[in-house]
Amino acid sequence: MPIPYVFDIENLNLFYGDKMALKNINLQIRKNEVTAFIGPSGCGKSTLLRCLNRMNDLIDGCRTEGKIRYAGNNIDDRDFDVIDLRTIVGMVFQKANPFPMSIYDNVAYGPRCQGVKDKHILEGIVKKALTEAALYDEVKDRLRESATSLSGGQQQRLCIARAIAMSPQVILMDEPTSALDPIATAKIEELIKELKKEYTIIIVTHNMQQAARISDRTAFFLLGELVEFAETETLFSHPKNPKTEDYITGRFG
Amino acid sequence: MMQINKGRKHRTRSEMKQLIDRLTYAGLFIPALISASIVLFIVFFIAKQGVSPFLPSQYGALSVDIVSFFTGMIWFQTPNVYGIFFIVINTVYIVILASLIAIPIAVVSALFIVKIAPKQIGLVLSTAVELLSAVPSIVFGVFGLGVITGWITDIATFFGTQTAGGISTAATVLVLAMMIFPTICIMSITAIKSVDINLEKNSLALGASRMQTYFKITLSAAKSGIFAGIILGIGRAFGEATAVSMVAGNAGSGPTFDLFTTTRTLTSTMLLGLKETVGLDYDIRFSVGIVLIGIIILTNLILNYAKKQVGRYA
Amino acid sequence: MMRHTKRHVKDQSLLGIVSLVSLFGILILILIFGYVFKNGAALVSWDLLTNDYYAEVYNSYYDGSLNDTEYVRPNNLSNDAYFSSRWGVAFTDDIDQEGHAVIRIVYVDPDSPLTRLLDKNTEGQTVVITAEQLLDKVIFTGNVILYSMDGAEKAAIKFDAATGIRDMLTSTEGKGIRGSIITTFLLIIMTLFIAIPFGVFTAVYLHEFAPKKSKLVFTFRRLIEMLSGMPSIIFGLLGAAVFIPFTTVFTSADGGNLISGALTLSVIVLPTIISSTEEALTVVPDEFRLASLALGANKTQTTFKVVLRGAIPGILTGTLLAIGRIIGESAALIYAVGTAIKDEIILTERSTSLAVHIWSIMSGEVPNFELASAISLIILAVVLILSLIVKIIARKYAIDPSMRG
Repeated sequence: MPIPYVFDIENLNLFYGDKMALKNINLQIRKNEVTAFIGPSGCGKSTLLRCLNRMNDLIDGCRTEGKIRYAGNNIDDRDFDVIDLRTIVGMVFQKANPFPMSIYDNVAYGPRCQGVKDKHILEGIVKKALTEAALYDEVKDRLRESATSLSGGQQQRLCIARAIAMSPQVILMDEPTSALDPIATAKIEELIKELKKEYTIIIVTHNMQQAARISDRTAFFLLGELVEFAETETLFSHPKNPKTEDYITGRFG
Repeated sequence: MMQINKGRKHRTRSEMKQLIDRLTYAGLFIPALISASIVLFIVFFIAKQGVSPFLPSQYGALSVDIVSFFTGMIWFQTPNVYGIFFIVINTVYIVILASLIAIPIAVVSALFIVKIAPKQIGLVLSTAVELLSAVPSIVFGVFGLGVITGWITDIATFFGTQTAGGISTAATVLVLAMMIFPTICIMSITAIKSVDINLEKNSLALGASRMQTYFKITLSAAKSGIFAGIILGIGRAFGEATAVSMVAGNAGSGPTFDLFTTTRTLTSTMLLGLKETVGLDYDIRFSVGIVLIGIIILTNLILNYAKKQVGRYA
Repeated sequence: MMRHTKRHVKDQSLLGIVSLVSLFGILILILIFGYVFKNGAALVSWDLLTNDYYAEVYNSYYDGSLNDTEYVRPNNLSNDAYFSSRWGVAFTDDIDQEGHAVIRIVYVDPDSPLTRLLDKNTEGQTVVITAEQLLDKVIFTGNVILYSMDGAEKAAIKFDAATGIRDMLTSTEGKGIRGSIITTFLLIIMTLFIAIPFGVFTAVYLHEFAPKKSKLVFTFRRLIEMLSGMPSIIFGLLGAAVFIPFTTVFTSADGGNLISGALTLSVIVLPTIISSTEEALTVVPDEFRLASLALGANKTQTTFKVVLRGAIPGILTGTLLAIGRIIGESAALIYAVGTAIKDEIILTERSTSLAVHIWSIMSGEVPNFELASAISLIILAVVLILSLIVKIIARKYAIDPSMRG
């Protein structure tokens, strides 16, 4: 039986103008797993993440070579509907950025943009998303209040709920807990472990221990290249590549 | 002995310096005080002269009845019939129409300039808008009389109505809309520029299109700045005198809702037909001035309250 | 997952609408400029700038006999000037403000009999024909008549053939704006003279000397802020109610005058100057103040020698903005000065600035669009150049030019 790959990245090169930021990436992401991208600053992990929902399109002078396939389709094709892609591949950013609206409107934003108008349907979506993001109990009495009144950790969970409201298949997370305190971080890590039952999660993190804690598979990047990709336990206990070992043991950061 | 002398000399110089500072403080305080009091002077003296038409002690039998002043619908110099109510309605009507035209165009233009246009075109357009805001109102008046009245006459003929050479409510509305458009646009540009780009990225990542993002998120995030621009623009619309006077006409009664008829605003009343510099007809313009100030203050209060409500979710 | 054409079309058409609407602003600017230029450019000339507004008409005749003097044609006369050696006068063809053909007198010999003509309307009064007058009509002795449409060449010929003048009509060209230009200039100078010290000192007080948290200072700022929100016609009322009586008491004025106008304008531009100066003071780094104080200077010296010097670009910006405001101001001056166009400008009498001049000629029975456009063109050119200079200064010194007060 073929292993269900969600993303299949083949010989991907990425250029910012003349500068090559990703070199010959070959990588497969499996369904319902948490895949972590780790590596030192500037190694290209966030750049690769952004390729998966084509957010790199927003950057001037960015172009790619090679193929990225989602469920068998080439997503880097010019004719491919980027907006559709983003409804299937959601993203949570490093700094929580709730829209200047109520909590309810924040979560309902995505579905509304796709044309969902029915109040009952929206209410159901919002409730489900907030519940899955482990935020509903904390905000159920103040759904109409401004989202900016939430704490940092709550705001990030709100952003996760916002992404979940779109019923995506994949959730991309770009260093989601780096701006949060340890308690909020722990809550989100718990959440991720729950979420992977329904979604495929790819998380970029500069915190190795976090990757070790929550991911099934880990990819280590260095200077735009994929150095090693293996099951998390294996990568951390018996890394094959000496560079991986150096990074993990802290010889460089 | 010399050391004591030295000490005393040093102290006196320092005392001198402090004295100079104190004098400077006093010397600077006076212009500041005067500058701040000017507003009070304005209110006092205009009120003084504007109240006189209502005082029988000033004008005896000719004095204007204050109730009919505020409720009247006719304004003629002879006989002394001065009713301001219809003028207020006209003014508010015209300002609302002008705002309805200017606000959407200004905000959409600002969005285009900041977010959509390529950098060079955006620069050209924003410079054009800034230059437009520097055009004095008399030039708008000349343009209004020379060109806009012509348009109105053409439109009127198309619809089968007459106009008095284009002098009309419609012309006034268009001229005002042109004049307040740059004000609103420039402030909207500033507001939109300061919107956090991450908000837009978040919206796009959720599957919203570019236009959806701009209209639902960007404009929403910029709304308090845009609103401030609108308040400024509306204030300017109420106070605009020269250009309005040139294209409004001077209807003796009203209120005028028909776009193709002549009308009369508070400022046109103050500016047109200014023959004498003394007398009842002159003083009554000050009374109109008081009403104008009152309406501007009232509008500002209402709009600022609305602004607070709009910014609830910021 | 190919492109949803419907959504794509909707998105693109919205984009198109937004783009079209946005060109509105530049469209209006072009329209205004285009109209003003088309209508008024023809009129803009040195004559327009230097002529009197009011045309003088002279009706004269020559009493006496001509001697046989042959007047010499001066060397510096251009080729298209036609000279009458008998009378010592030269003419050219020209076009007046309304586009009609006229004969312009360009030279009169100092000895010419034309300097000794007698006024037909007033006994004993002499009329001196000078260059730049227009020749309207001449009836020579022998009933030879010269009309202005005959042209300069015929004029010279007929003058040469004539032995006496029974009736001569000449006029100076009017419709010039010299008076209004001088008035505008005077208003600018007087207003800046009052407003800049006032404004700068107020700003210095508020920013440097005033106690930071005092309620009084807060009130001051609020009051000055209110000032900047007032429409200019209200300031006109203030001028009429306060400054006109004030000046009539202290000077020989008997009504609106330039001084009351300048005082009114000072009030109008005061918030601009205050705001620009305060903005500039904020930009001056605190280190300057601290360093100066540490060297033993007192606050006065620090402020005036160090801080203010650094604020000069900002003050300059405010001044230029104020000048633009003064040139464009109309409603306030209509009340605080008046609408009488003058050729001779006296400080204690009425006159019109360029903007009010336009108002005057447009509110008459027959509005003169060409002249109004010409003056508008001049005003626009000056205001636009000022705006650009402000932008350049602001960019160079990193000031925000939108803080206009």
